[in-house]
Formats: sequence, structure tokens, C-alpha cells
Amino acid sequence: MAQSTTLQSPTAPATQDAPRTGNWDGGNEPFKASYGKLMMWFFLLSDAFTFAAFLTTYGMIRHKHEVFTGEAKEFVFSTRWWPIPDHVFNAFPGLGHANVPLGFVALMTMILIFSSVTMVLAVEAGHRMDKADVQKWLLWTILFGSTFLLSQAWEWSHFIHGTPEGTMMADGTVFHGANLAMNQYGPVLFADLFFFITGFHGTHVFSGVCLLIWCFIATTNGTFEKRGHYEMVEKIGLYWHFVDLVWVFVFTFFYLV
Amino acid sequence: MASHATTEHTLAPGEIAKPNTGWIWKTFFVLVGITAIEFVFVFLMHPSTLRNSIFIVLTIMKAFFIVAEFMHLKHETKGLIWTILIPVALLVWLLVALITEGSFIGEVLQNMFK
Repeated sequence: MAQSTTLQSPTAPATQDAPRTGNWDGGNEPFKASYGKLMMWFFLLSDAFTFAAFLTTYGMIRHKHEVFTGEAKEFVFSTRWWPIPDHVFNAFPGLGHANVPLGFVALMTMILIFSSVTMVLAVEAGHRMDKADVQKWLLWTILFGSTFLLSQAWEWSHFIHGTPEGTMMADGTVFHGANLAMNQYGPVLFADLFFFITGFHGTHVFSGVCLLIWCFIATTNGTFEKRGHYEMVEKIGLYWHFVDLVWVFVFTFFYLV
Repeated sequence: MASHATTEHTLAPGEIAKPNTGWIWKTFFVLVGITAIEFVFVFLMHPSTLRNSIFIVLTIMKAFFIVAEFMHLKHETKGLIWTILIPVALLVWLLVALITEGSFIGEVLQNMFK
């Protein structure tokens, strides 16, 4: 730049090309976080609104319905009252109709928490610019994410097909399983909320797995290595942890409470 | 960018720092532990408002560990932390308000013809 400065008069601005770094020139990173990470946080906040709307709806509808007041052992499915979750979600793949209350959902929760750990390990490897480690942990995360999706597919399939006993409906016929208009477990809205809430969460997991696969390909191609940082892994990591976070809430409000 | 990893020696070009993953596994075991406690309550306690409150407190604890450690929010600036927390706190208010409303609607509907 020595050449150009000699051409300028002492009163003219030093150079027009120098980056402007003032507070109002876009030279500062708000909250000391990069643009991409900040926008991911705001997206996640707006996504939290969506999920909160679902859970709020769930809470309100559930409180609007009657509660089964008898002993838990004597509980039977009825459209009159809200079902007790461990009586609905008590099947385990390969165990037929054995009663394993919340067993499968516990396994799904563990899988998702574990995928969060492998994700954060990938982010940590990215900080160290360790390409091989990033690849390894991304692959593990993809594996656990896909396993969770398959588990959810099984869970849905079981919920839709129902138990052999079924439940006697108002017109005297026995109905097995669930759809959006009828279900054997309880009020119509119980199944509707199950489909919408877990379905919306599952869609998020699916998007996450797609992003991770793309991220793995980009890592393998050395895109981030050339770029000099693995911030993309970090941003997708934020999204992935959020999906895990949503599951923590879905798990509590749909399966435990 | 705040980072957990603090490398004592400067790295030679091409050299890769040692992994610093202790805090990750610690957070993982905390999350697994809390989930295990939740299951203990599912099977040992009858459903009640107290049990539900315990679940909600444990869930918020899990959420704290995921957001603070895994999502790194604890190590961001105060401004960012509040930007995320204040809207979420307002959401919780909405949740409580609408659940109360739901109980009231249910009560009205169930006693309508009595």
C-alpha cells in the first residue's frame, strides 16, 4: 500500500479500500459471536416458539380432559379420560406384546443423548482442526441420528397398529391402534398430538441427519480445512443439540408426566 | 470464540492438539444420571402433582446442561445469554397461563349438565 499513499494528498482519506471497523460500520461482531452462529441461535429461538406452541397446546388440551382417578393397575383405555403414558408406550421391538413400560422410549432417549455427545466431540475436533476426528465423530452422530429415526418409525408403526385387545368404541365395534380420527388409547386428540409433536420432532431429526451427511461430505472434501475453520460443524452442532433439547421436553411431557 | 481447550505449548504447523474431552463426558454422565433418576420416580412414585413437579425440575436441569455446555451458551457473552433466556422465560409464562386455562375449560365442560 506504500505506493498508493504516496499518490494521495495529506488531507485525503488514507484509502477507500481499508475495512471499516467502527461500531456502526459492521466491523463488530455483536455478542462476540459470528454472524452464522448468531443467526443459528435466533433461528433456534424461533423454532423453540413452534415447539412451545405444540407443548402448550398439549398441556391445555390435556388439562381440559378428564383424569383417570382409580388405581394405575385398574387403568383401561377409554375415550373418557386421558391415557396413562406407560400403559400406551409399553412395547419393545422383538418382545412381542410383553409389557415393558417406557423401555423403548428410554432407549431412544439414550440414543439421542449419545448422538449429542458425539456431535460435541466433532465440534471439539473441529476446534483442533483434526479432520480425521471430525469425520469419525460426524459418522457416529449420523449413525445414532438414523437409529433414532428408525426407532421412531417402529414406535409409530406400533402406535398405529395397536394391541390385539383394542378398545370398544361407542358404536360397539372394537378399534385397534390409531389414526387422526380414532384411536384405542384415549381421546381423539391424544393420538393427534402424538402424531404432530413426535412427527414434527422427527422431521427435525431427519433434517439434522441430512445436514450432517452434507457436512461429512464437505469435511471429507476438505472444504473446511481450506476455509481455515470448522464453524459449519459448530452451527450444525447447535441445531443438533436443540433437537436433543426438544426431545428432552417431549419425553417429559408426553411420556413421563 | 471462547474455547474449552487451552493448549500450553504452541503447535508446529500440521500438528494436531490433544483432544480435551473430559468436560463432554462429564456432562454426558450428568444427563444419563438425571434420566435414570426420572425413571426411578416413574416406577416408585404414584402419579401426583409432586411427581410432575419433580419431572419438570429434572427436565429443566437437563435443558440447562445441554444448553450451557453442549451448546456452549454458558461461555458466550452476557448479552447473548439474556437474548435467548428472556423470550424463553416469557414462553414458560404462556405455558403456565394456558394450562391453567385448560383446567378451567375442562371443569366448565365436565360440570355443564350437572
